[in-house]
Amino acid sequence: MEYIKPFKRILLVGCNECVTVCAAGGRKEVGLLASGLHMAVLKSGATIEIREHTLERQCDPEYVEELVPMIDGVEAVMSMACGCGVQEIARRFKNKPVFPALNTKFMGASERQGVWSERCQGCGDCLLGMTGGICPIARCAKQLMNGPCGGSTGGHCEIGEDTDCAWALIWERLKALGQIERYVEITPAKDWRPGGGSGPRKIIREDLAE
Amino acid sequence: MSFQKRLQAKEFVVLAEMHTPKGVNISRLVNDARRIKGRVDAIVVPDMDNGIMRMNALAGGVLMQQQGVEAIIHLYCRDRNRMALQGDILAAHVLGIHNLLVVRGEEMSQGDHSEAKAVDDVDECGLLGAIGTLQKGKDMAGFDLDGAPTFFSGASLAPCADEAALEREVAFAAKKVAAGARWLLTPPVYDVARFAAFYERVKGLGVPVVPTVFLLKSLAIAQYIANSEPGANISDELIRRIRKSSDREQEGIHIAGETVAALKPMVQGVLVQTLGWEHKLPAILDVAGL
Ligand code: SF4
Ligand code: SF4
Repeated sequence: MEYIKPFKRILLVGCNECVTVCAAGGRKEVGLLASGLHMAVLKSGATIEIREHTLERQCDPEYVEELVPMIDGVEAVMSMACGCGVQEIARRFKNKPVFPALNTKFMGASERQGVWSERCQGCGDCLLGMTGGICPIARCAKQLMNGPCGGSTGGHCEIGEDTDCAWALIWERLKALGQIERYVEITPAKDWRPGGGSGPRKIIREDLAE
Repeated sequence: MSFQKRLQAKEFVVLAEMHTPKGVNISRLVNDARRIKGRVDAIVVPDMDNGIMRMNALAGGVLMQQQGVEAIIHLYCRDRNRMALQGDILAAHVLGIHNLLVVRGEEMSQGDHSEAKAVDDVDECGLLGAIGTLQKGKDMAGFDLDGAPTFFSGASLAPCADEAALEREVAFAAKKVAAGARWLLTPPVYDVARFAAFYERVKGLGVPVVPTVFLLKSLAIAQYIANSEPGANISDELIRRIRKSSDREQEGIHIAGETVAALKPMVQGVLVQTLGWEHKLPAILDVAGL
């Protein structure tokens, strides 16, 4: 709300990919947020025009081009994509303020209808082969590499009853797979560079890049 | 004889725990150390691993040594990356501390600075490995040190609520020993018979095992631990004993002393935890006959 206060006409942009799947920033949510914002602004005694549009994908420049005819007619853009989409729009339209409508939290999977949980932190040096397919970086609150922290009770993480302890899961799974030797082996201190420890990361595929 | 020598000579060691102040008033810490001097083999000085910001264990350990009491300081991974940890380890050696205890850090959100960012660059095995590497004259990146430190390092075990957790913890303890832990500290023991069964599982790891004995200061504390820590094994009988007592404070001291005495024939030493009631340590040791 604070973000859009100074403006009379904004463009609210959704994204048809991940944020649609997790019901946070797709066409439907764009409609809902637009009417919500409308009402809130009216209530505060002001008026605002909110134009709505949903792109196939906000993190690819080709799709973002689609906004060109719309952009001049508005004072600011609010994006309902993840942080990648917001930044792509900001990069393309240098003289337009762009605001995030979502707080992008994590890369995850759906546990069940309406419940998503974090699964991967893109550490760049995947351990899943050692840990029975369960990630200790994204799913252990302490990112432990060798075993549980001791706060693990009854299979729950010490941060709360509704979070599984990753190391309890890893142990059970390795046991079921007959791969306990994977647990016994000491995993050395992790090299965090591929995980972002040495700054923003980039992947260049020579065969695809122009 | 030093703590390390006593353990290695299979002599019974008595350890006490003393916390550094949240602030710079060290008079209580120094007085407690003076009072207990001669009755314990070493004092364990926790750091901020329980999540409470306080003076660090390195300074606390140095203060102990200045009083003529051998110190064992906690090291843990939540707040420092591998650079800071290695720097502190080198500093500890130079300041005369020879014993390190690698522990787990309480989850940041449970501490008094719950908004802070946790580091967790390495884990307990990684830290034990780093201590070993430094002792060989190299740092974790493989560069040569100008003078290598020497330490006697231990690791701690976690309480286990069920058989699955126990099995996992024993396997993890074996990893810590392989990574360089030369003794193991167990969580508080409230039920010596159950501890004996646990001890059977860990004594084969090839390093001395030292159980913790925690002073139950009140009925409320005993009930709280019984309810909140399923792995603690505080029996109803024990709760009843404290409730019925006409002097609960004294009863707690007796229970702790009796537990120490009962453990003595089985293990290599004990750590007595008094959480702020360090002045009661001599009374507990009296009951235990130490
Ligand atoms: S180990 Fe790294 S890459 Fe693999 S799932 Fe976990 S965070 Fe992702
Ligand atoms: S309880 Fe399990 S998941 Fe949670 S921090 Fe400890 S080891 Fe990691």
